[in-house]
Amino acid sequence: MTKVLMKGNEALGEAAVRAGCVHFFGYPITPQTEVPEYLVKRLPEVGGVFLQAESEVASINMIYGAAGVGVKCLTSSSSPGISLMAEGMSYIAACELPCVIINIMRAGPGLGGILPAQSDYFQATRGHGHGDYQVIVLAPSSVQEAVDLMTLAFELSETYRNPVMVCADGMIGQMMEPVEFDREGRGPPLADNDWALGGADGRERRIVNSLYLTPEDLDAHNRKLKAKYDLIAERERRCDLDAGDEPADLLVVAFGTMARICKSAIDLVRDEGLKVALFRPITLNPFPFSELRAAMDALSERGSVLDVEMSMGQMLYDVRLAAEGSRAIAFYGRAGGVVPSPDDVATQIREALST
Amino acid sequence: MARIEIDEARCKGCGRCVVHCPKGLIEFSTELNERGYRYVIYEGDVEACTGCTMCAVVCPDQGVEVWNHRDKQTFVNTSGLTERMTHYCPGCTHGVIHRITAEVLEELGLLGRTVGIAPVGCSVLAYEYFNIDMFEAAHGRAPAVATGAKRARPECIVFTYQGDGDLASIGGNEILHAANRGEKITVIFINNAIYGMTGGQMAPTTLPGQRTTTSPLGRDVEDTGHPLRVAELLATLATPAYIARGSAHDAKHSITVKKMIKRAFEHQRDGTCFSFVEILSTCPTNWGLSPAESEQWVADEMIPYFPLGVLKEPAAQPAATPQEAQP
Ligand SMILES: Cc1ncc(C[n+]2csc(CCOP(=O)(O)OP(=O)(O)O)c2C)c(N)n1
Repeated sequence: MTKVLMKGNEALGEAAVRAGCVHFFGYPITPQTEVPEYLVKRLPEVGGVFLQAESEVASINMIYGAAGVGVKCLTSSSSPGISLMAEGMSYIAACELPCVIINIMRAGPGLGGILPAQSDYFQATRGHGHGDYQVIVLAPSSVQEAVDLMTLAFELSETYRNPVMVCADGMIGQMMEPVEFDREGRGPPLADNDWALGGADGRERRIVNSLYLTPEDLDAHNRKLKAKYDLIAERERRCDLDAGDEPADLLVVAFGTMARICKSAIDLVRDEGLKVALFRPITLNPFPFSELRAAMDALSERGSVLDVEMSMGQMLYDVRLAAEGSRAIAFYGRAGGVVPSPDDVATQIREALST
Repeated sequence: MARIEIDEARCKGCGRCVVHCPKGLIEFSTELNERGYRYVIYEGDVEACTGCTMCAVVCPDQGVEVWNHRDKQTFVNTSGLTERMTHYCPGCTHGVIHRITAEVLEELGLLGRTVGIAPVGCSVLAYEYFNIDMFEAAHGRAPAVATGAKRARPECIVFTYQGDGDLASIGGNEILHAANRGEKITVIFINNAIYGMTGGQMAPTTLPGQRTTTSPLGRDVEDTGHPLRVAELLATLATPAYIARGSAHDAKHSITVKKMIKRAFEHQRDGTCFSFVEILSTCPTNWGLSPAESEQWVADEMIPYFPLGVLKEPAAQPAATPQEAQP
């Protein structure tokens, strides 16, 4: 299939259509606004539904309604908007409905700024709503990967009947790159199922609900969800390892845009003869703990780890969990929309290796 | 001779039928039923029964069925509700409004393609009672959930059932915008001037001076504003809509409520417009009144502030087909 040059946000929108999603509900926010602006034109071409909601609170609840009647659906937002979706995500996860949420992260806290950041890692992997639930989180590091992960996102959400978040940053959303789609035209709708509402004519009525007033029932529901999350963690971890010349003396860990920049930095320092590897989680949840640990174990005897993020250190906690104290872990992070350059990271790498 | 049958086990002893029977044929038993309620019995001069159905119309618990003098059943419990007893307090008219809504859907033949949305509030368990596909939504968000469902499945009949805290306070934005977009959904809005489920706090519809647990000295409008008249508010929108307000406090008004709810669903069925029926409803427990006193309170205090009637309805569709309309 031929490559086309597309802006990240538009490619995300097109990828949703190719994955079979033609229902979009969302509220404008920079730096993701090109997603709705693209879909408002594209969805009518495929008989879809585009609706600008009155708020992110409403858009996630429209998603709850649309997912509950059994259509593939998408919402898109950026950090403050995702905060407002927290309650709705909890309900959707509790009711085990499939949907995809795009978060084109911007810098926080508060209103923060509109430039790229990765400071919603905690929110995406641990936080947002209340209760013991999880969302699958995918983190692309190029426009092409964003497209590929959108397809995967819809597949995973349907397979596990769970919300899936595609968590990118303003950089991925805004940049233009050549992309290739793995199918022409609109993808298939959700497969027939026994849970979607739509009128009980000719069958038992169905209920989409998250209220369990008997503690034992709610405990059982939580256990069922946990078993699903465990299965997801077992089967769906994804990551990318560039081991370089083994054994490396430093393992850089980064995701999304930051991993790309780290790759350029590593190319620079490898030319100087430094032995540096790069580990890039693609699924932030489930986090590829065992793969990261294996990469750490493969380091040279005194090898250490450098975690690099566009935040004050959030994935860092998972990197530490993976290490379980087995390796020294340094951190380099910038926030507020400051995107470290390859030179900045190279300096950090040299420093980490000299201590 | 006309007759009624009372399902003792369903009776919560609210006594609404006792008050509303024009012939005074229903009275309290001296016994308690298995749930501990002093149920009602139909005794004495039952030959006087005209089969008027008032007892059934006011019963919040589907506890009465009626036969006319030709032994034809004239009041049948609707198949739009499940058999489950509701958890509503005795005399609460949520049950009456459930029944009316279900009857309308049944009479219009829509039950099989309806998706209902329960709110957070006393009616959170409405999905247990309506015998149809149902969602349970987050507090205040039902109109957004309905929007998503209806836009995705326009062939479905989608309605929300919401209390005044749910719809007029936390969900103010969702209802306003669903109405303004003219979503082809139906909203059943239960105005009981209080937060029932959480135990009687002030609602946006609490009347001036009304005592609640969070306005213990009576609602001070200087401090907390005036009660919201949601139907009037929505009726100001330019978007076409069917907006009506009724009251479930007595049999006569309940019959009007049924007409309004029917009209609302007809508008949705025909794809005409957004439809909204506000219904004044009793909350004896949190008002601290008996069921009968509660009905009186609706009549004396609520209706003057929340006038009843159809506030807005789109003009009838022109009869001419598009072809005929061509020159
Ligand atoms: C986000 C959120 N805030 C608060 C609550 C607590 N809460 C449950 S029901 C309710 C009020 C319901 O009152 P109303 O809508 O008037 O319905 P009623 O119970 O009177 O029928 C509140 C505040 C909640 N469940 N969720």
